[in-house]
Amino acid sequence: MSEPVRTDPGSAGTVIRTLLRIGAPPWRKLALAGLLGALGALATVGLLAGSGYVVDRAAFRPGLGAIAGILASVEVLAFLRGPLRYGERLVAHDAAFRSLGRWRVWLYDRLEPLAPAGLRGWRSGDLLARLTDDVDTLQDLYLRCLLPVAVTVAAATVAVILVAVVLPAAGGALAASLVVAIVAAPAAAVATGTARGREAELRGRLAAEVIDLLRAAPELLAFGREHAALAELETTDRELTSIARRRAWAAGASGAIVTVCLGAAVTAVLALGVSAVRAHEMGAVMLAVLPLAAVGAFETVPAVATAAVRAADVVAAGRRVLDLASVPIPVTDPEDPARLPDGCPEVDLRGARLRYGPELPWALDGMDFHVGPGTRVGLVGASGAGKSSLVHAMLRFWPLQEGTAALGGVALDALRQRDVRRAIALVDQDAHVFAGTIRQNVTLGRPTANDEEVAAALERAQLAEWVAGLPEGLRTHVGEEGAKVSGGQRRRIALARALLADAPILVLDEPTAGLDPEHGARLVAGIVDDAAARGTSVVLVTHRAEDLERVDRVVVMADGHTAPGPTMGDGETEETLGGIAGTVAPGGAASGGRGRVTSD
Amino acid sequence: MSTTAVQRRRGGLIDRRLAARVSATRRYLFSAVSFGVASTVCVVAQAVLLASVVSAVVLHGATLGGVAARLAGLFAAFVARALFGWAGEAAAQATGATVTSTLRRQLLRHALTLGPVWLSGERAGELSLAATRGTNALTAYFGRYLPQAVLAALAPIGILAWVASEDWPSALILLGLVALVPVAMVYFGRESAARTRRQWRRLSSLSARFLDLLQGLPTLRAFGREAQGRREVAEATEGLRQTTLGTLRVAFLSALALEFIAGIGTGLVAMVLGLRLLGGHVTLYTALAVLLVSPEVFLPLRRAAAEFHASAEGQAAADRILSVLDTDTVSFDDELRGGQPRTQLDDDGHDAFDGHDRHDRGLGARAAEPEQPRAPGTRHAGGAALRAENVEVMFAGRGTPALRGFSIDLAQGEHVALVGPSGSGKSTAIALFLGFVRPVAGRVVVGGHDLATVDDPTWRRMLAWVPQRPHLLHGSIADNLRIADPFASEASLARAIEMVGLSHTVSGLPGGLETELGEGPVSLSAGERQRLALGRAVIRDAPIVLLDEPVAHLDAHAEAALRDTLGPWLESRTVLVAAHRPELVARLDRIVVLPSRREAFDGTGEAPGP
Repeated sequence: MSEPVRTDPGSAGTVIRTLLRIGAPPWRKLALAGLLGALGALATVGLLAGSGYVVDRAAFRPGLGAIAGILASVEVLAFLRGPLRYGERLVAHDAAFRSLGRWRVWLYDRLEPLAPAGLRGWRSGDLLARLTDDVDTLQDLYLRCLLPVAVTVAAATVAVILVAVVLPAAGGALAASLVVAIVAAPAAAVATGTARGREAELRGRLAAEVIDLLRAAPELLAFGREHAALAELETTDRELTSIARRRAWAAGASGAIVTVCLGAAVTAVLALGVSAVRAHEMGAVMLAVLPLAAVGAFETVPAVATAAVRAADVVAAGRRVLDLASVPIPVTDPEDPARLPDGCPEVDLRGARLRYGPELPWALDGMDFHVGPGTRVGLVGASGAGKSSLVHAMLRFWPLQEGTAALGGVALDALRQRDVRRAIALVDQDAHVFAGTIRQNVTLGRPTANDEEVAAALERAQLAEWVAGLPEGLRTHVGEEGAKVSGGQRRRIALARALLADAPILVLDEPTAGLDPEHGARLVAGIVDDAAARGTSVVLVTHRAEDLERVDRVVVMADGHTAPGPTMGDGETEETLGGIAGTVAPGGAASGGRGRVTSD
Repeated sequence: MSTTAVQRRRGGLIDRRLAARVSATRRYLFSAVSFGVASTVCVVAQAVLLASVVSAVVLHGATLGGVAARLAGLFAAFVARALFGWAGEAAAQATGATVTSTLRRQLLRHALTLGPVWLSGERAGELSLAATRGTNALTAYFGRYLPQAVLAALAPIGILAWVASEDWPSALILLGLVALVPVAMVYFGRESAARTRRQWRRLSSLSARFLDLLQGLPTLRAFGREAQGRREVAEATEGLRQTTLGTLRVAFLSALALEFIAGIGTGLVAMVLGLRLLGGHVTLYTALAVLLVSPEVFLPLRRAAAEFHASAEGQAAADRILSVLDTDTVSFDDELRGGQPRTQLDDDGHDAFDGHDRHDRGLGARAAEPEQPRAPGTRHAGGAALRAENVEVMFAGRGTPALRGFSIDLAQGEHVALVGPSGSGKSTAIALFLGFVRPVAGRVVVGGHDLATVDDPTWRRMLAWVPQRPHLLHGSIADNLRIADPFASEASLARAIEMVGLSHTVSGLPGGLETELGEGPVSLSAGERQRLALGRAVIRDAPIVLLDEPVAHLDAHAEAALRDTLGPWLESRTVLVAAHRPELVARLDRIVVLPSRREAFDGTGEAPGP
């Protein structure tokens, strides 16, 4: 599919710096974790070297007093090592989880202003993967990248110094093998492990394909295409598997390098020690200390090799998370917002032109639209005439490229989006019903609403009787995407939500689709009459002539602007509708606006 | 729908249940363990060589030349260990990857076998998490934990045997401490496993909530409630942080206990050896070799414990996956009151695909000559096309039946409308004939056979279905049309979109038929999506057509235009249309009225045709 244009979030360094800025890590906690980790690593060195010394020294049978002190120290170190590790891990995880929360909220804040039109080209499965998997991967920045490297470098440095004090040449040899291991092992892991970005991309695609498969399951099964869809998914799976194999190979190679370097270090310090003992430069009691200290110094090195791999993962995931920062936000609030006058504001669009991208055709093309206070306007037109785009423009989901739009006499772009949307309650064609209870879905319109108000909204949406008949009433769960209720009920839940919002302007986009004509007409009539009594303006987008009986005026749209013809809600409406409907029939002459957005 | 009630938990350990499903695991496991054993032998060799070098030099004054061979051997042991470790890593990954993709395939296949009704009770976000992250987490369980667990049982015994042969008092000390390890593991492991399971459930519901939130963003914004979504994300993440930390506190505690035991063990051995060396009861060589080896007694156990916790997410995910796999169609039907065993999708991949390919080629052969008009409906034999006899349908978790006493009978070529108020069960009736829902009472007969005894995919080949809410797949318009027939020619696609009045829309799109759809830059309106679904049905070219609110988003005139163009195509087919306004179908033989579910269920009133 054609991906939207995105700018590169930058080099690996930039990505990590940006992530650290957003994640605002609790540095003190991280420093504490690092200190505990380094002490734990040094305790291992001490334990190993100390017990080597004890045994070596004891072989000369010096008497208990000579080794008692060092024996006690060894026992203390053995005792301390565990608690130090425990502290390190808990503190580090706590720090990481705190940043995780910040990254996730940051991402939500980037996504939110893009909906609905700005998220064109993003699959919801892919976005979900970014919000969950990718963000979760970021915690490794601390846990498996920064901390292990800091701990290893600190502990190894101290161990080298200790060994160098005993025998400088051995210190040198140990340092050399540590450096080789710390440099070569990660390099091997990164060089052979290919296509990390590709892996992240494939994971996103797999998640999207899985969601597609599960959502479209009814169609796939009905058409017997379930095997083909599975086969496609398995192609992605296979590529992921082969990447994982290459990766394991690389990880194995880097582990092998660490072990060989350890072997080199142990052998070298032992050989140097043997020479030094023979040359009487070092006491024989220290001979066992050297190789054991080397073993201790290497203990945390494998984590460094892994760190390089994890760093590449973190950067890949980080890129996918930061990607969203580069998507231009279609509509922003003005710095000094104007105040919306009280009462029922009028809507006024003049010469409005709107399109969703420079390469896409105009969805609104010179549209004039006026809704006076307390009037009821019907909006009709063939599918694709630009009705939904007009609604988007009114709600300021998408800016006008040309022309003016005003609400209550104030330019729309001088108002805060929130104020605009408080004034206009929308029942969208694809209004989302959240997985939750009926009550939760309805009170989204006005969270502070009390039970009587909710009941009144349900009554107006003609849902009260149905809800009363449910065993769990308002607490009935509607299922994912309202899957457990019928299409008509779903639409009426969305309607009740908008009615509860009690906004001065009500925009109904195809409110009766999925309802039988009789019920639909009754529902619309009730709502329109009710609105008239309350002095609420109504914009009614519909395909059905019978819905238009009670509106003051009918506006016909074609090709993104007002179509000529009668606009009164009289007997001629039907004829006008017929004329317009003809344009979508095969061979029709008019062209529809393309590139509209449906909030799917 | 409550799935927990449906899921029949089959006892046994996860690895056994998984191994039973993924046959290749045993072989991989064997090689991974073999490499681990070889590595352990290298470790003992290193200790022996190092101790003998030190002892030779310290006690016997050996020169560098005198120990050169042993030093070379020492280095060689390290190199060998490195290579075994490398091979072990590769084997571990191979195991994990195989298990991951096999289980993912089985899970998705099974979810599809269970069908749309079961799926509607599941949360796509949650199942998707199980199929992606869940199966991935199994890599750690299978690739790392299982070989390590076997090694943890073998290596300490081997090493202890060697230590005992060198110095039995040390072996006794180590044995005493090793015996404590399983106690600690069981104690902490149990606590931790329960917490991890809770953790996974939390993560799953989080994922479903985020997906819901993402898809509902436009609605949230329309009501100015975006802050509520933000709060939900923040709260969910903070909640997860707290439970995760709780889980880790216990998980790390078990690591701490093991580390403690290992540290005390090494320290004790060092002390006892030191004291016995003082007394001359043991040689330097033995003392050093035993000292070097003693941490290795605990290491496999500690690693196994660490991998156990690292793979805990995988175990929890496996539990979820297995519970889906163990939900067999029979027990799922049982929960809704008994059904016949259903024919399932083949459980293991390739045969089913091969068979399917043949089927597709068969379709392709037919579709290759699309210009020749066929007499539809004559290709398939059959008597009464569709019949429901006093059918009752229940959905789990709903007090009243979705359909009760429903009877309908469509002769071949008959056109029947199903009308009734919203929620009266029209879509359920259509789903019944699609085999998506099973009756709890009564029976469904298709072409003279009880549908319960007919293989669903075979039956569905006879059907073209236009759902109320068509789902668009990611891909082009052509891809979306071709799900009805993958080998449909360009010409037949063009003819279909012409028939449903989409050709004008399509020609206005930048890529024509190849324009990408879905959540892509070009989206179709609800009406256009319905036309596309009608187009699919046309391409399907099946003798029985099921239409579920096919024109809910079209106005009367568009509908009239469609009626004219579709009329001849529908003419010879059997048509069941569920609609508030069944006018789309020009020739209606009968109208069946479904009563409102609020009204008494005293059978369906059959009204005479118009």
